[in-house]
Amino acid sequence: MRRLRRPLALLAGGMLLTAAAVAGPVGAAAAAPAATGYGWVRLAHLSPNTPAVDVYLYSYGMPNAEIVLHHVSYGTVSPYEKVAHGEYTVAMRAAGAAPSTKPVLSTNLMVHPGHAYTVAGMGPEKELRLQVLDDRLSTPKGQSLVRVIQASLKEHRVTVRAGHRLLARDLSFASVTGYTADRPGSVPVHAAGGSENWSGTVDLTAGSIHTLVVLDTASGLEVTSLMDAAGSGAMPAGGAGTGLGGTAPRPAAPVLPWLAGLASGLLAAAAAAVWLRRHRTVARHAR
Amino acid sequence: MTDGRAGRHGRAGPPWRKVTRRPLALTMLLASLALAAVAGTGLLLRGGHPGRPATPLPAAATQLVPLGRPAALPRPAGHGQVPLPVALRIPAIGVRTRLIRLGITAQGTLQVPSSTSVAGWYTGSPRPGAIGSSVIAGHIDSYLGPGVFYRLRLLRPGNKIFVRQADGRLATFRVTGVHQYRKAHFPTARVYGPTPDAELHLITCGGAFDDATGTYLSNVVVFSAEVRLSHSYSTVRSQPETSCYSG
Repeated sequence: MRRLRRPLALLAGGMLLTAAAVAGPVGAAAAAPAATGYGWVRLAHLSPNTPAVDVYLYSYGMPNAEIVLHHVSYGTVSPYEKVAHGEYTVAMRAAGAAPSTKPVLSTNLMVHPGHAYTVAGMGPEKELRLQVLDDRLSTPKGQSLVRVIQASLKEHRVTVRAGHRLLARDLSFASVTGYTADRPGSVPVHAAGGSENWSGTVDLTAGSIHTLVVLDTASGLEVTSLMDAAGSGAMPAGGAGTGLGGTAPRPAAPVLPWLAGLASGLLAAAAAAVWLRRHRTVARHAR
Repeated sequence: MTDGRAGRHGRAGPPWRKVTRRPLALTMLLASLALAAVAGTGLLLRGGHPGRPATPLPAAATQLVPLGRPAALPRPAGHGQVPLPVALRIPAIGVRTRLIRLGITAQGTLQVPSSTSVAGWYTGSPRPGAIGSSVIAGHIDSYLGPGVFYRLRLLRPGNKIFVRQADGRLATFRVTGVHQYRKAHFPTARVYGPTPDAELHLITCGGAFDDATGTYLSNVVVFSAEVRLSHSYSTVRSQPETSCYSG
């Protein structure tokens, strides 16, 4: 049995070395996040008796407009435009007026990174003003936010309900409510002035923010639902498990343990082969 | 052998010994060869690899841009009109995949595709091309090699991303930023929270790999925003098509 022990010991040694070589540490590195320097601006015409206008958005002090909206009429709300943070000037001119002419109206706004703003022409034509609204960009968990802009001149005061929830009580013309949190879903909305009223349904989705605009139409009142911002209704927790490591950076293992494993394996194989051959011989002799 | 005659070395074994030893010796031989094979293979594969990036980006001339009618611009209202996403194409890094649907796991984390070669859209997020932050996730790698988002971190601001919608139209996005975050400090609000424009956020893994847990320690997130054809959207008058369904 002495002969058997040597290959066994070699085998065991080789396996230990192999195991030691396979288990190895992995290096680490990580990058830091960077802040975005962008905000969002949208432009709206919400003055019922003001004719169509051209709206210009200038980076403060710059002669050329970054954005020009032509022939914007009552009830129009543009999509949000992503702009670099900083100070801007919004100017309104009569539709078709030359960009070089003096604007009818202008206002300045400061765009902070990650914030959104609605710049709306509001009020009656004689008292038209540009109002800058700070738009919310987060909701309570799983909820929906709603606010109301009252842009009806026919009805100076309007009360708006969404389901059983009162969104605005006797909201006066050219004013805006704060945001109200609401359960998501298809919600019946009712807007009532002194004589005119409107009923309809508004879809409120979880994790989204809405603005209801009360407008004058030829036939009376109308409520338009604007999607201000939308996100995930249910927010997954933490990061995503999107990798199994097959391409992860790994330091190269040292050669020696592998070589030792190879050598000991071959040695043991040779020993076993010799041993096997001898026993064949023994068996033949025995016959 | 019944007489117990001596062998070449003058040692006589009992009759059972040669019967048991031969299979044992054979087993030993095979085990030794297997060890040698394992060690040899380990020696060959020992070099590991430097990690990403492994392959250069294709030249601009070979970047095929998918054809299709552009998707409708996102409207301030009219939510829910955007068709479901069916495929994703990122020419700059050679990504071309169909999109599966992803939900949330029982643990509350984002479900990930069971295949490492396809990406998936998180159905709890807005549809790509609709207002809001749409989320698509894909694997950086499998146990063996690159996954569908292997080269996601190589994207740079300005690179284009195309999402084919169920009606065959394309929503086009432009990369605005590529960031890596530790999973322990994942910016949930920034990735999944509301945005006022149509954005697409792509998620994969990155950074160091933790062998103990079998996971990457960081996520790579690509932020992109839908490309608008022009600024002259004054024709996008909300009133006619965005009025709530009259009741």
